[in-house]
Amino acid sequence: MSADTRLRRPEPGLAPSERRAATGPRPTSARTRVRRGLGLAPIAWAAIGLYLIFLIYPILRSIMTSFTDRNPLQLESSFVGFDNYTEMFNDPNLHRSLVFTLVVVVFVTVISNAFGILFAILLNKTTTNFRIMRTLVFIPQVLSGVIVAFIWRSILTQDGLLNSSLAGMGLIDSPISWIGTPELATMSICIVVSWVTIAFTTVVYTASLQAVPAELYEAARMDGANAFKRFHHVTFPMIAPGMTICVVLCMITTFKLYDIIAVLTGGGPAGSTESAAFYLVNVAFTSNRFGYSSAISILLLVMTALVAYGVTAILRRREAQL
Amino acid sequence: MRYTTRSRLFSKGSHLALAWLVTLAFILPIYIAFSSAFKTQEQILSSPLSPPIPFTFDNIIDALQRPDNLIQAGLMNSVLVTALTVGALIPLASALSFYISQRTPKVKAILLGVVALGLMVPPQVVLLPIVELLQAVGLANSYAGLILSNIGGGYLSFAVFVYVGFLRSVPQEVIEAARVDGASDLRIWWKIVMPLVRPATATVGIFLGLWVWNDFLNPLFILGPLQGQTITTGIYISLGQYSTNYAQLFGIMFLAAIVPLIGYLVSQREFIHGLMSGASK
Repeated sequence: MSADTRLRRPEPGLAPSERRAATGPRPTSARTRVRRGLGLAPIAWAAIGLYLIFLIYPILRSIMTSFTDRNPLQLESSFVGFDNYTEMFNDPNLHRSLVFTLVVVVFVTVISNAFGILFAILLNKTTTNFRIMRTLVFIPQVLSGVIVAFIWRSILTQDGLLNSSLAGMGLIDSPISWIGTPELATMSICIVVSWVTIAFTTVVYTASLQAVPAELYEAARMDGANAFKRFHHVTFPMIAPGMTICVVLCMITTFKLYDIIAVLTGGGPAGSTESAAFYLVNVAFTSNRFGYSSAISILLLVMTALVAYGVTAILRRREAQL
Repeated sequence: MRYTTRSRLFSKGSHLALAWLVTLAFILPIYIAFSSAFKTQEQILSSPLSPPIPFTFDNIIDALQRPDNLIQAGLMNSVLVTALTVGALIPLASALSFYISQRTPKVKAILLGVVALGLMVPPQVVLLPIVELLQAVGLANSYAGLILSNIGGGYLSFAVFVYVGFLRSVPQEVIEAARVDGASDLRIWWKIVMPLVRPATATVGIFLGLWVWNDFLNPLFILGPLQGQTITTGIYISLGQYSTNYAQLFGIMFLAAIVPLIGYLVSQREFIHGLMSGASK
């Protein structure tokens, strides 16, 4: 609005910034820079306002709620200090969910980066065949976690397609409970999540590989470096920035994992595949313990932040050394 | 010489074969799901890997003729939520990014720091306060509530970072020249900046569209189980009963998956390009 009126303002009432600009380029001082783009302030602050309401305020609100015994079934909630936080130390369900989360995070990060690099090297050609393959490999990323989990559930359930195929080939006598026993269910979640993240890491690593100049390999070959040495001294350092992104994104995605668990195992059997993120939603919406759930969410937030900043810092330093 | 040429040819062929083998093994579950959508229950169970011969459309027709209109209603709701969310986020994020890019380095760093938070906050952390907030203002269980929380949540952060990164490559002289000609900030943004950052808009639109479409947690808890669903939550709520009726399950999933899949295949080039520019930063 104000921007329009300024446009129509009659001469000689040029705005100071415009007059200054009209006299030719000048070194931008902090003062003149501040005035620029202010016509957009209403839209910019509308965006910031929504962001404050729907992201920043909820975080602060979670912190406050975590010190209360808030429960939607009671009208009043009272301040309980650090009770919710001390309860976390003694909650075996939470401990189990944290261990499970950690197992999945480590497994998924290691497997999807290792396979991502392998796939990227295998598919790093520019011919049509390889382009088609790269397009296909990314598909697990395009489908929603719910669909991915339903596909895998139809394969992995007791009377699912994997067991019926294995039985058909005479490899097993009785069906294996892929998502019905705690260890196998954990393994299944790890594999399904990795399957999705490999799709992502493969494409990012291929992009990193294509940025490696071919001369580097030529030079290494001239120097008599074998395939392993070429990987170790040329490929690996060159894909380090891609690796930082892949490792951090794999970890963050796995920390907030919800839909695949909800569909594939529902957190079972006996809560063995409840991740921390899954557990806190259950505590909030099934047990109605908003206070305790908020405390767990703050723990999750701190863990994610530490991992995101810590791992990024470590990997960036490594990038610089390579 | 001749020998080496031949052995190289052979290794090229085996490389291609190996690459196809690995790729096909990797996407085998997707092949099973999509081919099963056109098979009968008996065919699916007796030979999950065989192609759909004879070919049947029964599963698709059954899915479309459900009395609860799961597919039609779900697709319509998803289109509505995704279009409104992305349609609002693109101008908001690009205006905010242009605004940020014109601020002093100090203000810029503060604003970007606050926006960066949204990139890593797990949605579960803010879910409960958002549901309570929407209840307090009477937007609980409504599409308006879902769309508003989509716009204000972490998606904005991603969009802002893509735009801010891209705006670095836009020469300040172009903007200065427009300013000399007397163009307002609003006009500069809409007529000059927006066309220049079109590749960034493509990346933002594609990724946000996909994420909002596939989102599960927010629609499930903000819309609630009774208020109609997006396609993702709709199939979650309805498919439990089909745990063993694979023909039905795969028919519904084919229809639910086909929209993002076609979207991906059509915009594949921009997709990969967006990922690449993200990865090289």
